[in-house]
Amino acid sequence: MRVPINWLKEYVEFDATPEELADKLTFSGLEVEQIESLGAEYVLEIEVTPNRPDCLSIIGVAREVAALYESQLKWPDADFKEGSERVEALTSVELLDPAGCPRYTARVIDDIKITDSPGWMQERLTQCGVNPINNVVDITNYVMLECGQPMHAFDKKLLRGERIIVRPAAEGEKMATLDGVDREISPDMLMIADARKPVAVAGVMGGAGSEICGDTTTVLLESAYFEPTQNRKTSKMLGLVTESSYRFERGVDIGKVEWASRRAAYLLAEHAGGTVAQGVLDVYPEEAEERRASCRFAKIRELMGVAISNRRIVEILESLELTIEEQDEDSFIVAVPSFRVDLECERDMVEEIARIEGLDKVPDDRPRAEIVPNIDDSALRAVFECRNRLVGLGLIEVMNYSLVSSEIIRKFGFDEGSIVPLLNPISASQDVLRPALLPQMIETLGRNRAHQAAEAGLFEIGRVFRMDKDGKSRESDHLAVGLMGNVGRAIIDKRREAAPEEVFLWMKGIIEKLCSSLRVSNCLSVQKERPYFRAGCAVSVEINGVECGEMGVISLELSEALRVTEPMVVLEMQVKHLLQSVYTVPQARPIPIYPSIVRDVAIVIDDAVQSEQVTELIRKNAPPELTDVNVFDIYRGKGIRDGKRSIAYSLTYQSLERTLTDAEANEFHESIVTSLLKELDAEIRDKK
Amino acid sequence: MCRNRRADRRIMDMEVRAVKTMRPSEIAELMQKALVDCAGAASAEELEAARIKYLGRKGALPAIMKGLKDLDPSERAEAGKLANEFKKAVSAAIAEGKRSSGKTAPIPGRAPSFDHTLPGLWRGLGSRHPVSQVIEESVRIFSSLGFTIADGPDVETEYYNFDALNTPADHPSRDIQDTFWLKNGSLLRTQTSPVQIRVMEKQPPPVRIVAPGRCYRRDTSDATHSANFHQIEGLYVDATVSMTDLKSDITYFAQRMIGPDVKVRFRPHFFPFTEPSVEYDFSCHACDGDGCRICKKSGWIEISGAGMVNPKVLKSVGYDPEAVSGYAFGMGIERIAMIKYGINDIRMLYENDVRFLGQFV
Ligand SMILES: [Zn+2]
Repeated sequence: MRVPINWLKEYVEFDATPEELADKLTFSGLEVEQIESLGAEYVLEIEVTPNRPDCLSIIGVAREVAALYESQLKWPDADFKEGSERVEALTSVELLDPAGCPRYTARVIDDIKITDSPGWMQERLTQCGVNPINNVVDITNYVMLECGQPMHAFDKKLLRGERIIVRPAAEGEKMATLDGVDREISPDMLMIADARKPVAVAGVMGGAGSEICGDTTTVLLESAYFEPTQNRKTSKMLGLVTESSYRFERGVDIGKVEWASRRAAYLLAEHAGGTVAQGVLDVYPEEAEERRASCRFAKIRELMGVAISNRRIVEILESLELTIEEQDEDSFIVAVPSFRVDLECERDMVEEIARIEGLDKVPDDRPRAEIVPNIDDSALRAVFECRNRLVGLGLIEVMNYSLVSSEIIRKFGFDEGSIVPLLNPISASQDVLRPALLPQMIETLGRNRAHQAAEAGLFEIGRVFRMDKDGKSRESDHLAVGLMGNVGRAIIDKRREAAPEEVFLWMKGIIEKLCSSLRVSNCLSVQKERPYFRAGCAVSVEINGVECGEMGVISLELSEALRVTEPMVVLEMQVKHLLQSVYTVPQARPIPIYPSIVRDVAIVIDDAVQSEQVTELIRKNAPPELTDVNVFDIYRGKGIRDGKRSIAYSLTYQSLERTLTDAEANEFHESIVTSLLKELDAEIRDKK
Repeated sequence: MCRNRRADRRIMDMEVRAVKTMRPSEIAELMQKALVDCAGAASAEELEAARIKYLGRKGALPAIMKGLKDLDPSERAEAGKLANEFKKAVSAAIAEGKRSSGKTAPIPGRAPSFDHTLPGLWRGLGSRHPVSQVIEESVRIFSSLGFTIADGPDVETEYYNFDALNTPADHPSRDIQDTFWLKNGSLLRTQTSPVQIRVMEKQPPPVRIVAPGRCYRRDTSDATHSANFHQIEGLYVDATVSMTDLKSDITYFAQRMIGPDVKVRFRPHFFPFTEPSVEYDFSCHACDGDGCRICKKSGWIEISGAGMVNPKVLKSVGYDPEAVSGYAFGMGIERIAMIKYGINDIRMLYENDVRFLGQFV
């Protein structure tokens, strides 16, 4: 709402600079977004919240100013000399939908001469962002801006049958609105019609067929109250929001409908040469009930937490033109004027008192701690633990949008039916909810590569969305980890290129450390085939025996598309499986007191044999004294035939009951190595 | 350098004096000087020179011993005792000098190429995303006031996002937020407030929760808006909850999160689910409220909305608005992260550039 200050001053006296006024209004609930200086005039741009339609007018704002500056509201002139003809002789109003239109008034003004409106009026309209058209249209707009009541002027000679009918549209009716658009109207919409056909969409826009034009001489002036909900539906269905519909759907002052008509007639007589027919047609079958709220002084103080006196409470409400009807020392009944459509109950009065008294009066130095017993949010806190461990493992946390491009998702091969699309996306690049974190994780690695980061170790914990078979979307929290390039190497060793297998093993190390710190067991199994993974370089991730994720080396095609030559390995899994044992408290176990003995063995095996097979065999044949098995070297090359490799293991022997002798350790070791060689058909690597 | 030269001169002075017979007081004085010389020796060579001067065959100690017999018998015993002490103390001082000089001298047998200036090799820590840091820190601060965490889905029903929050479809307050809809009639929550309803439906009062989460609005993204963003919802319902509680708790949060001098300002506003409703600002920590670029010269930074839970909302979850009252607030996480870390474009938070994120270790 734009409010020229000199116009405002016609209705209220106050002594303040535009800046002071703007501040005062802002801190009492009418936020002044901007003060515009136009020559000698200052125009306040006010953001009026949907609950305060009364402030969509200069007089409405003046009323607030009067309360804030303890001043009086002055109403403008609306008295004029009526003509001799009675309005009833000229037209009639038939109200067929009193629910949709509780009050309708009509006046007839004859002898109109269409000209430009006076300069001062044009100037004010322009300042408020309304284009001047001619004196009649300008006057209706002026009155709307002045008091908030939208009006419509029909050229009476274009109306048929000397009557106005307020009725729902008939099935199949059409009409052309003032903006020149032919509109389909439906029976849910309220129409203003003449004897033959609709001439305006009630409260939204007039029809082209009865528009004021250069040869208009008789005006039928409409001032009415249209029911907000109905009006909003109509405006939505037509996709048409006007100054008028904007006000009706928020609620105009039903008590001032007739006054506004009188004010407009006064101006038409004054500035359009009009003769106003005697009387007014004011169809108002059921007068709106006055709203009353009963309030308790103590409750108001309690809700504010401010010690405000009874006297001050009453004073504030009265300054806002509310009437205190009954009052004792504990409570009062307050009557709400018709223009304050937002006030219904005691709670609403608290807001009025708080905003006028000033919210700066509310103390800010009494923080209140209170424990609500029997509430357990540990499951939701667990994810913080997970994040902090991932940071401890050296990974940088990223956050991607929940909305992604369906085109990219399709390339990753997700089942079309499981994707959750938006009905009204802003753009094709964000038209579905992400079904997984991997696509963005891979893209993030690629984007960083493009910024000359040759390596990265990233993670994201975020929500993903899938559509059920029954059309319901399901969401769950996932973890993604992405590694690129030499990220696992010490700084001094960065030039040594990392093979995909090595990067994969770094990732494996991360998930192992993460799982052991979260006290769950993990294992990798079953090779995964995915369009985005390199064939044979991907596995599924199991936590405590439940498959809940996958990890693998990114395919060459995808790497190439992102212009990344370094290996990229990504992991994605459901978070909830990781967090099931976060709060399990580790229990101390005795540390072995007898010394351990370490024996090594290096065996040469086929490349096809996997390291884990070897360790499993070692453990299978081992006595309980074998406490640990570790790989400490892998060798291919000189002395080893093609297609084979040497893997060196260190085996630790230890007893909880006594000190092992070298001879005993040798015996254990020999027996393990012998059966290992037999079962694997392997040989010991020559020690040279 | 200067100090060393002075020490040398002192040693020469002593040489001259040491030849004559010394009385006990002179021995004591010489001992003090010897100890100072030993402690002040800057190198092994200087220390050795001091040892020769005081304890060597032609040094001060043999001279003292030799002179004992010439002393008056009344002084002899005392001088003898002092001479012994001289020997013990100065030997100890020389031994101590040798020990401490060994700390910087190369130790025989250690690799000669030890270079402590090479880069450190231990793998680095990662870093938390600023948004997730602010979420965790917020939760921690509110936890200290007794709040617990609650959670709700990103994909919401119209009922939880609007209707239960006193925002019926036919009311203009719906227009405030431009909503993303799904084809099945669900929507992406425009605020974290639906969590209020979900929690109150499950739990009788008192309720004291914070609910961090993502929200979605059809704003086109710019420097301060993005299509999805994070909020923390706060809700406190109990027998007598007041606006003073609301303002004080938010102030407590602001001071812990941003800085001890931050103030909170309320401006009246409108939200359908609170009454009274306010928007709140933090005083600008960058300029202490004097006005700067960050706060657009106003001294204040807009944060978000809050208010007293509308009795209609309490009624919709089956609470008795006469028996309880409550406050609720929303808080834009990105906004707070931007203030706290001096980030001026919200899009940086979703670029995921490691050069940017690596700064928040
Ligand atoms: Zn500032």
